[in-house]
This record gives sequence, C-alpha cells and structure tokens, in this order.
Amino acid sequence: MPVLAQIFEKAGFSTVVVTNMPYWCEKMGTPRTVGTEFTFGHILGMPNHRDMQMTVINAALTLLKEAQEPGAVRDLDIEWPQPFDEAKRDWQPLEPSPIIAMMLEQRRAAAREAHGAQ
Amino acid sequence: MPVDSFKYLPGAIAGYYKNLPVQKEEPVPWTPLAKPLNECRFALVTTAGIHVKDSEPPFDADREKREPMWGDPTFRRIPRDVRQEQIGASHLHINNRDLLADINIQLPVQRFLELESEGVIGSLAPTSYSFMGYQMNNAEWRQQYGPEVAGLMKDEAVDCALLTPA
Repeated sequence: MPVLAQIFEKAGFSTVVVTNMPYWCEKMGTPRTVGTEFTFGHILGMPNHRDMQMTVINAALTLLKEAQEPGAVRDLDIEWPQPFDEAKRDWQPLEPSPIIAMMLEQRRAAAREAHGAQ
Repeated sequence: MPVDSFKYLPGAIAGYYKNLPVQKEEPVPWTPLAKPLNECRFALVTTAGIHVKDSEPPFDADREKREPMWGDPTFRRIPRDVRQEQIGASHLHINNRDLLADINIQLPVQRFLELESEGVIGSLAPTSYSFMGYQMNNAEWRQQYGPEVAGLMKDEAVDCALLTPA
C-alpha cells in the first residue's frame, strides 16, 4: 500500500493511509499515516460499529487537513475490543494461505530429512 | 501510545517483516491539500481483495494457490452505490467473514456517503478501488495498475484518496 500512496501522491492526489502497520509505512515513506492497533482486515474498526469506524475516519481527515510535511504519522489510542488471543486467531484465514502452507510443508520436509539422516 | 505494528502477527511473519530490506522513497512524495475538505472529492482505495459480484471477476486466487509466490496485481472497481450483498472477497491471507458482513471496515463507502450528506467532505467519487494486498513483487503496481487507477481518479476529478491496507 505505501507504493500506491506514493504513486497517487506523485500524480497529484493528497493521500492518507490508515494502517495497523505504521512501522512499514514509515520505513517505506508514506505522505500521511494514521496507525490503528486493530487486527488485519479490520483497519477501520469492528463490523457494524459505525461510531468506531467514524472515529478513525475523522482522524484520517484531520491529519489530511493538518499535516504540513510528508511523513506525518498519527497513532490512535483505541483498544481493539476483543481479548488478545481471540483477536489474533480471529483475523487469520481458516486455511493457511498458499505461501504459509508451502513454508510449513518445507519445514516438515526438512524435519523429515533431518530425522532420516540420524 | 505508539501502535505496535506486529501485535497481531504470528512471530515468524513479524520476523520476516522486521528483517525485510526496504528502499525508502526519498523524498517522500507530497501533494498539499489544495482546498477545504468540504470541497474535496474522495476516492477510497483498499487492498482487501474485494470485488463486485456479477460485475467483475474475483481476484485470481486459483493461480496464487498454484504459485504461492504470486499475488494478483490487478484491481477492481467498486461503485459508490454498491450494496453489501454484491460484495465478494477472495483474499487468502485474512478471514473474509467480517468484510462480507460490513465492507466499511476496509472500504468505508457508507461512512463517506454520510460525510458527504453532512457536508464534511465535498463528495465521494463515483468509483472506488480494490487491490489484492498480497504482492511479493509490486513492479506491476508501479508500472501499470497504480498509474492506471491514478488516471481513472483524474477522470473523475478526485482530489484525495483514503488508502486502507488490509
């Protein structure tokens, strides 16, 4: 997403990124970034929680209005309303993504090989 | 409190991100806000991998399953009058359940229509955009699809974009 922000900003649009990985945006260089400590796939809040979503959006609009130079970052202090373990499990796909499945298989193969070599 | 960017990531993936070498864009591009928000037209751009069913095809998850290092670099258009039941989701790296219940958690079309009717923003553009966030190589975003969306936003007189990675 930082790449798209850079492309759009260069093309003459004022952009603001809302992300749960502001570290990544700062590292790559995004013009304006709002950080939310929310789970993946829920960057603006919980489903059907209008007020929570609007709070985040209003923070993004405020940063858009107030930021005076590139690299502006504003982290929001809003707690994700699920217990940590549940939240960490809940955003993840029911089946491992293809890359994760491939890495798990590679790890299993390496373990089998190491076991066979003993 | 600063946001912990790795709070909800499994340890191995967090380590991958922390150690990934990155070339920072210098200087960071900058387009100052040219007018008050209540005169600005907004487009929304997400990388949540959603599409409008019966309008455009889903992202190519089958190819990603065959080629796990590949992510579909194309984009889909989401009209401002989209209804929740029209939304399809094909991101393989998140649980899509909540997106299929309320797209506003990633693409806040309804929230921006409310802001438009309240006069907080000028307008929501006719079209918003969805990409697939899983990209091991973003060359096609840089060379083709990013500039293509920028051109489409220009055609619709967009001033500002809200970007929401999934």
